[in-house]
Amino acid sequence: MRNRTTTSAPAAGFRSRLRQFTASVPLIGWLLGIFGAVLAEYFLGDLVSYYLGLPKIPVLFGLLTVLKKPLLIPGILGYLVLVYAIPVVIIVRIMQKPANRLAEFLAGKRVTIAALVHLSLFYGALHLWADISDYRLLVLKLTMIAIMLTLSINVINGYMGEFSCSHPGFMALGAYTASTITLLLFANDKQFGPALLPEALGFYFFPLALVAGGIAAAVGALVIAIPSFRTRGDYLAIISLAFLFIVKSIIENLEFVGGPRGMSSQPDYANLPMVFTVMVLCIWIINNFVRSTMGKALNAVRDNELAADAMTVDTRRTKIITFLFGAFWAGVAGGLFAHVLRYVNPGSFGIQRLAEILAMVYFGGLNSVTGSIVGAVSINVLSEALRPLEIYKWIIIPLLLILVMLYRPTGLIAFTEFKPRELMRPKTTKGGE
Amino acid sequence: MKRLVKGTVWGLVAVLVFSANAWSFGRKTVIKVGINAPITGDIPKVGEGTKYAAQMWLADIEKAGGIEVGGTKYPVELVIEDNESKAESAVKANTKMITEDEVLVIVGPQSSKQAVPAGDVANNYETPMITPWSTNPDSTKDRPYCFRGCFLDPFQGPVLADFITEEFGFTTAAVLYDVASDYPKGLAEFFREAWEKIHGPGSVVAFESFTTKDTDFSSQLSKINKSGAQVLFTPQYYNEVALIVQQAHELGWTGPIVGSDSWGSAETVALCGKDCYGLFFSTHYAAAGAQGATKEFIERYEKTYGYTPDDVAALTWDSLRLVQTAIENTGKITGKIKQDRKAVRDALARVKNFKGITGDMTFTEEGDPNKCAVIVRISDKGEYEFYKLVCPD
Repeated sequence: MRNRTTTSAPAAGFRSRLRQFTASVPLIGWLLGIFGAVLAEYFLGDLVSYYLGLPKIPVLFGLLTVLKKPLLIPGILGYLVLVYAIPVVIIVRIMQKPANRLAEFLAGKRVTIAALVHLSLFYGALHLWADISDYRLLVLKLTMIAIMLTLSINVINGYMGEFSCSHPGFMALGAYTASTITLLLFANDKQFGPALLPEALGFYFFPLALVAGGIAAAVGALVIAIPSFRTRGDYLAIISLAFLFIVKSIIENLEFVGGPRGMSSQPDYANLPMVFTVMVLCIWIINNFVRSTMGKALNAVRDNELAADAMTVDTRRTKIITFLFGAFWAGVAGGLFAHVLRYVNPGSFGIQRLAEILAMVYFGGLNSVTGSIVGAVSINVLSEALRPLEIYKWIIIPLLLILVMLYRPTGLIAFTEFKPRELMRPKTTKGGE
Repeated sequence: MKRLVKGTVWGLVAVLVFSANAWSFGRKTVIKVGINAPITGDIPKVGEGTKYAAQMWLADIEKAGGIEVGGTKYPVELVIEDNESKAESAVKANTKMITEDEVLVIVGPQSSKQAVPAGDVANNYETPMITPWSTNPDSTKDRPYCFRGCFLDPFQGPVLADFITEEFGFTTAAVLYDVASDYPKGLAEFFREAWEKIHGPGSVVAFESFTTKDTDFSSQLSKINKSGAQVLFTPQYYNEVALIVQQAHELGWTGPIVGSDSWGSAETVALCGKDCYGLFFSTHYAAAGAQGATKEFIERYEKTYGYTPDDVAALTWDSLRLVQTAIENTGKITGKIKQDRKAVRDALARVKNFKGITGDMTFTEEGDPNKCAVIVRISDKGEYEFYKLVCPD
């Protein structure tokens, strides 16, 4: 517990009461609060922003506006308080007891059902939030894709403890495979000519195209896994880096996928529900994977391969499966990426992309699902919010990375387990104190 | 708790008093022009040229008190967004400018890898966009809201083939290009097609390639030396041009080397030095010996920013002037952004014989301009001298 001096007694009292209060609200209570705030923005946002003298509803919590026009700072702060903070506080306060009862009820059910309830509430909030502006929608979709990429590289670089550099290559394989399938089958385009199947079917086949993209990436991963059996550490890093260049060069020289010019006008299948569902599936499956026996074996291999082998862990099989698994999700993320942008070119999958992905995973924290989510979201939102700073943005973000590496060498939230049941449990005021 | 409520209320009052609305009520109609430029990333010089040209344009407009449409003067605001030279960033920037800043028209992005996906966004939101520099046909193809400020590679390739044939009377040519980059690869292929049409199949005796960021071209150049080619065509960017030309001369190449509009940067001569003197390339405008408005633009740019503007700056300037002409021609700004955007698009499509500093322009149905190419000779002082004007038939 923290020391309380007499001089700061009222402040400490307020703070501890606040802490007590926040500890007594279950996750579903917070989600209800957020939903309420988003609803308030949806109906009152225009009005409030007009009276506060803001040109529009501030996207991304006004971060962009603040940097361009510092004069609007009071207006933005007022907006954030009025539209976000006050509804959240009021709803959370009122709903504290019912939310706990609801959480208790859900705790009695299966995790899947409880999670579905939470997720649908969360999705509802996101949907309304993104409905305000298409820019928000785009940033949200790309952030979700970044979460998938970060998680999938965390499986290899964090849980397996290898340093793999081929993630953009896997992503490219997924993006090109999925794009080729949708363009060939469901779109009239100049690359492949008229659609082979009715266009109406396309949306339902899109998940299959994503899976095919994932499988293509996994096959690619197998190609590097086999020659790099005997290598670890730096050598695997070099081999995987070579793979990245090979994939990029192959695509650049393949004329039927557009060569360096790339492919464009993919059908618009990657809407918010699609991206959200795929991301949730990705988090869910990866989380189960790393918490399974396989995941424990994986950590054993990372910490000491010989010892793990002696303890009957089939190290080779474990490593291969994990590598393919990570690559698969990178491929799926790549497929989504291509359909969100509706354009791919080999130039998008180079060293720069690798640096971004690595920054996200090391910023957030190795060996942690929560860390990956935090890392992907913070780097993405940050780089979007600092956009008005132009060149200085590339000083601030690396500086932040250095600071994180200095003070938290393993990343912000490393080596933790993501336990959905724990997260969703009811919180009674008496329990904690 | 009471204190908290009181504090919040006072805070809100303070916010209302200090907010911008307390001083200026109502929302005025402002013409916003979006600039989507690669200010950071691989080609910052291109972004800088774009930004500077835009700022010069804005200074002109501000001096005139705004753009005059139908007898009223409207103030103009520039929204400059950095696209980090990345495709997804360009898409984000366009989406933001269209939906958040509500720009009337967008100028940029410059390179094709950004202009192709960003053009899709602009077209979907029915916002007119001019890309000053993108040469990929896909940027404007089947997109009624997308225009471009430069000529296309299917035009530039034949221009160069014809020019070399007429000027030197050569019959065999060699090509050295970057296979991993969209623009050089496309142009190399168009040139080969045009050359072989004139001189028969097989007259391009060497068609050699390399990959982006390569710095040693000796094996390709040796092959070209042995192939018996009379002229070398290399549609590369400024940093590679210097290396290729110098290495070619070291390996004993004596024939002329010809380039394309990507040579047009001021850096080419700075990096290449004497090796590049006397060489020819095709481009959008010639800085040395320019006349009239072009000369005025160059002198002003040199005075303000300290160096000769390259073709990107000139094309951006022309695109902005085109936008201005189109806005003036709409006759009326309603303040309803959707309607105004449509009016500007229609006005752009109607522009006839626009007098730009990079030549006269009339848009075709695809949104591409019909304009002339300039053949430039690098003089013995390292200046880009006007040599010849080649116009489409």
